[in-house]
Amino acid sequence: MSVIRDYDCLVKHSEQVLPGVIRIVFECMEMVSNALPGQFVQIEPSTGTFPVTRRPITINRLTDDGFELLFDVVGRGTELMGEMRTGETVRILGPLGRGWMVHPDSTWLLVGGGLGAAGFQFLIDTVGSAKVLIGASSSRRVIPLESLSCTVATEDGSTGETGLVTALISRDLLEEADSIAVCGPVAMMEAVWNTIPSMYRDKVQVSTESRMGCGWGVCDGCSIPVSSGGYKKCCKDGPVFPGSDIDWKRWKEAGL
Amino acid sequence: MSYPPSIPRKFWGVDFNSPVMLASGTAGFGEELLDLQCLSGVGAVVSKAVTFKSREGNPPPRLLETPYGLLNSIGLANPGVHHVLEHILPVAADLPCPLLINVAGESVEEFASVVSVLEESRVHLGYEINVSCPNVADGGAAFGVDPEVVLRVAQGVSRVTSRPFSVKLTPNGGDMVQSARAAVEGGASAVTVCNTFLGMQIDWETGRSILKRKVAGYTSPALLPLVVARVWQVSNAVSVPVISSGGVSKGEDVLQLLAAGARMVQVGTRLMRRPFAAGELMAEMKKLTGE
Repeated sequence: MSVIRDYDCLVKHSEQVLPGVIRIVFECMEMVSNALPGQFVQIEPSTGTFPVTRRPITINRLTDDGFELLFDVVGRGTELMGEMRTGETVRILGPLGRGWMVHPDSTWLLVGGGLGAAGFQFLIDTVGSAKVLIGASSSRRVIPLESLSCTVATEDGSTGETGLVTALISRDLLEEADSIAVCGPVAMMEAVWNTIPSMYRDKVQVSTESRMGCGWGVCDGCSIPVSSGGYKKCCKDGPVFPGSDIDWKRWKEAGL
Repeated sequence: MSYPPSIPRKFWGVDFNSPVMLASGTAGFGEELLDLQCLSGVGAVVSKAVTFKSREGNPPPRLLETPYGLLNSIGLANPGVHHVLEHILPVAADLPCPLLINVAGESVEEFASVVSVLEESRVHLGYEINVSCPNVADGGAAFGVDPEVVLRVAQGVSRVTSRPFSVKLTPNGGDMVQSARAAVEGGASAVTVCNTFLGMQIDWETGRSILKRKVAGYTSPALLPLVVARVWQVSNAVSVPVISSGGVSKGEDVLQLLAAGARMVQVGTRLMRRPFAAGELMAEMKKLTGE
């Protein structure tokens, strides 16, 4: 269990890596010793009164003395985060949630859609090596990953294969993997889930996201519909769940 | 009352250490707060709403942030009173501050039924009765808009407990002062002013509400003057203490609410930004008052 604390983190570096996609490197030694792959942090986007909630972002990777986030600018909160500059101090709560269930000596297959692949670097760095499949609308949405094996498909064919990430999933890849990690938009994750034959589905873990209030389990705002009925909390029970836990139909209906 | 107000430390004859209470729905049952060690400066925790049967809550999305506030549509998600009694209250026993259990119901009788079950526990100090939820058994309007109904709810609770309870009033319809008087007549030891304001966000291109239940509860630091006015009106009309709820983001906000007549001040949405808000508010207040 990670120790959750609210840290004042120094911005060491900030840059735009793709159009509308920002990378920020923060200094925070405590996060290095505490965070696990797949966990997230809650960033305070402003020191003013608004916005009234933080922004939950998955840890993309750890650095020697801190961690790195990679995120899309989608609204006011992330826009403010994009304006964070080197030398600033930002209040960050974390590490939060349950990350990827990592078994020793496991062979990993990672399937990411667009910015959903943010966070895979931490997993790759932790498990040593993994086969990675990335799908995106175009090359402008393919985030940089350091991996020995990475295959890309884009819908417009601007890089890699032309088509969807589901076309990259082969029976051989599913067979040789012990663990399969999926992260991306709900429709993409559902398509991947439906592409995987049921005999391999026990290996699948998915990283979810939701509109979030607190980030630490008290407000019940970030519910994910689960197959056993009812809901689980994205922030505390997740964000990573076994794929079989998810009620895909109800989750898609939520239109998140 | 003298001005500026001093920081109260006692409530219902009990030592509360701080006038800052964590509002219902923003602190669970306090057990996560123990993990996070963010209970410094917390006078009391008000639990999330407990109903007789478990409720899975509303379909997502349940939250929608607006530029100046937060809409929530949680739907009183909770595991039901028996689960709370057997599995959650024993953990909440470790809280270093008093716990009030927020109780909701779909009929006048359900409030007393929930309280009766909870009476088995010695963990909590008292209750907060949420009369802002819809009276499903009788048309669906909030219990709190009709003083006659508020009186019956409070009387029902008084009959089954000797612990103190506050009635949490709704700002959405009805006359809050009349409802507050009815709560006191029914035996309430305090009134909480007030619950969330009805709010809605519509996608103008499609005409659809973003949240599935259409209207939701709106909270915002910008609501502070609305809460101050209601606290002032109600505290001038009733003999029991008023607990304010809503609009707090700074220590000076707490002091203003105390000056308006509140005896305890709840903080809620601010915890989403600052889990350690209670301690921060106390520090700011001490600095401002020199205490």
